[in-house]
Order: sequence, then C-alpha cells, then structure tokens
Amino acid sequence: MNDLCTDIGFVSVNKFGEQLCGDHVEVIDQSDDNHVVVLADGLGSGVKASILSTLTSTIISTMVANGMSLESCVDTIAATLPICEVRKVAYSTFTIVRTIDNREAEIIQYDNPKLILLRDGKSFDYPQTETKIDGKTIFKTKIDLHENDFLVFTSDGAIWAGVGTTMNFGWQREEIVEFLEKMVRPDFTAKTVSSLLLDECCRLYGGKPGDDTTVCTVKIRRRRSVNLLFGPPRDPKDVNKMMSLFFAKEGKHIVSGGTTSTLAGEYLGKPVETQLDYLDPDIPPIAKIEGVDLVTEGVITMSRVLEYANSYGETDSVYADWNVKEDGASRIARLLLEEATDVNFFVGTAINPAHQNPDLPINFNIKMHLVEELSERLKSLGKRVKVSYF
Amino acid sequence: MKVTVCIGSSCHLKGSRAVVERLQQLVAEHDLKDRVELSGKFCMGNCRNGVSVTVDDELFSVSPETVDDFFKQNVLAKL
Repeated sequence: MNDLCTDIGFVSVNKFGEQLCGDHVEVIDQSDDNHVVVLADGLGSGVKASILSTLTSTIISTMVANGMSLESCVDTIAATLPICEVRKVAYSTFTIVRTIDNREAEIIQYDNPKLILLRDGKSFDYPQTETKIDGKTIFKTKIDLHENDFLVFTSDGAIWAGVGTTMNFGWQREEIVEFLEKMVRPDFTAKTVSSLLLDECCRLYGGKPGDDTTVCTVKIRRRRSVNLLFGPPRDPKDVNKMMSLFFAKEGKHIVSGGTTSTLAGEYLGKPVETQLDYLDPDIPPIAKIEGVDLVTEGVITMSRVLEYANSYGETDSVYADWNVKEDGASRIARLLLEEATDVNFFVGTAINPAHQNPDLPINFNIKMHLVEELSERLKSLGKRVKVSYF
Repeated sequence: MKVTVCIGSSCHLKGSRAVVERLQQLVAEHDLKDRVELSGKFCMGNCRNGVSVTVDDELFSVSPETVDDFFKQNVLAKL
C-alpha cells in the first residue's frame, strides 16, 4: 500500500457518419492498486471493427488479469476472432497497460501508435523489447512509475487527424508529444488529458473524423481526500461528535447547508461570513468560515453538483462550465470530481420542518436521495466513497 | 444600519436573489452605501416565512413584490 493511485480516463469519437466506434477500451481493476487497461482498434470501421475491438480487448484484459501469458492471449485472439471476408485477416491492433501497485507498469504494444510517457512535463523515452508471436511484432516494456506520470496512448485515428485537410500527412507522434508537453499540467486528470488531445484531433479533422479516434490516459497520482458535511445530525446531542469526526479527517473540508454551516461555525468558534455575490443566478452564494475550505448552501447547490457529476464523462468536452466558474456548485464539483480520489460524506439526517412543504423541491427524501445518487456516481468514477449518517 | 438577507435554501427558492439585487439597487439609488450595510446569512431559522430579512436585529418577511415597500418603511424611514 502506498498513497498513490491510478487514474484512468478515455474518450472516443466515431468516424464521421458511423454509428459505432471501431475502437474499444476495456479496464479491469484487479484491486485498488492493480489495473489492466486495453485499447483495441478493430480493422476498418463500423460494426465489424467494433466487434473485433470489443472481442480483442475483452479477451486480452480478462486473460491478462488472470495471469495468463501474453503468448496465449495472442493465440487465443488469433483463434477466436472472425475472419474478415475482404481482407482475409482477423485482428485488431492493441495496447495493453498493466499497473502494479501504482509503482510499476507493464506496457505491451501491437501496431497502435507508440505510447507516450509524460514525466515532469516531458516525453520520456522508455526502453522496449521486441518479441515475435505468430509473425506479429510486439513491443514490451517494464518500467517504474513516478507520481504524476501520464501514459497517453491512442488508436491510429489520432495520428491521421488532419490528413489531406488541415495538414498533408496528419500529425505525427512528435507533434502530439509537442502538443502534450505544451498543454498538460501536473494537476490535470487522466480524463482531462484524453479530452484535450481528442478535441485537438477533432479540430484537425475539421469536426469530421476520418477514422475512429480514441485517446486513453493512465495517470499516477497521489490520493486526496475530500470530506463533505451535509445537514445537521438528527439528535442535536450528536453535533459535537459529528463535527469532531468530520474535522479530524485528513484532506479538504466542505460544509454544505445553512444550519449545518452555522453549527460548524459554532463548533470552530468562528463566524460564518456570507457573501452576496450571485456568480450563478440559481445557486445561492457561498460563505467563509476560517478552517473550512468551502462553505455553501445545501440542497440546491448539491442538486446542481449531482447534475454536473451525471454529465461528467458523458459529454466529452473538458471545457464544462463548472471547470472555470466560482459558484458553490462548480467549486464542489471540481473538488469531488477532479481533485478527490477519496470522498467521505458526513450526512446529518435531521429533518428541517420548513423544508417539508410540498411546494419546495428540497424535502428530506430528496436530500437523502441526492447523497445516495452522488455517492454511487462517484464510485462509478473509480473513487473510494464512504458515507456516514448521523 | 445593517440589513441582512437570508440566502438559505428555503429563502433562496422564495426569491432571495431578487430581494438582494433590488435592495442593492435601492441602496445605490438613494446613495446610502455608507449608511446601510447589506449582507447575507444562511438560514435565520424562520424558513416558513421567507424571504427573511433583518434590519439591525428586527426580523421581517419580504418577497420580491414587497421589497420596495419594505425598503421605504423599514430602511428609509428609520435612518
């Protein structure tokens, strides 16, 4: 166990006019600290490519995850995949990244553009050994990983971007490296880096990708906890217990809720300084309490956070509004979705009688439902989530 | 004089923002920036009768429709 973790984020676009993507990414979490990621690019495009790449990535990831040798994986694929009528071959190209304890990576590459390892903001030239299996040349690498290493790998759609339109020969690996070295900052998430590169490819393609394009990033980062206090405890006698547990936690602290922030202020012996700036017309302004990283209103703000969380990863744009806005909901979204690897919810179950008015969309059930939905969503994004009720 | 508007959930839904913005306007129009301090507060424990506004320590219920009258009667008149 160390305090590092692996952040994996990938995005794809389909070839212009295609309904299905011929690239497929499969992620298997063997444990919190061991992951297998396979990016497969099926021959051609459309349904055939999609089936090939899905089969390839699923077979490889399952077999590698179960400790099978690479030779048997490749044999199995060769024996399993349907043969293309036109081309008389059956394969898809692939890149496999396997991380071990967040400290070591095994990289296996077959015919996809060569993986780029960004270390300290620069492309790092890693050693490769060549193996031939069934006449296929496969490159293997075993390498130690550092904090804030980015492993960026793509399907060949990325390097064909712009061929014949904005550029004569597409952009080559060197240009992609240059782009990444210029754009990527150490605090970017894997998802952000993938989206940045994919957006650039789409731009070069003039919005009409000539091939399925997929970018996958694996980032090694330090674990970060964010703690969120939401609502007063049901039994007022538990306020001190709830507060002391909450503030004892390592990491950032968010207090969400009007009464809740008053209680937190009393516990800390600090005033709650509310601001009157409506940075988003629908979200109540934030407040400040010394010793708390962020203080916001409760249910309305959290409902918006849930909306952001649900659309996170669905829309491929990095430039979501909440990335740059400073209202309470955007700030919570950044902390929970981007910064945190571990989220601890401290949920108070007191019922505010004034909120039980059927005309108001903020009653108790809605509140509890919010927490449940948000924590499920955060879990599905690969975060460790703990919810404690008081 | 200190005028505090509740911006908690319940009052927010009943129009805190409109009340705050109108009060800011009125204060500016009457050139009272030096004499009236506008501030916000999360939840004054009077959620049923929002939007809650206090003038110094006296509590009022204001709505976006009544904010002009409120300002005349309880802010201007008392300065």
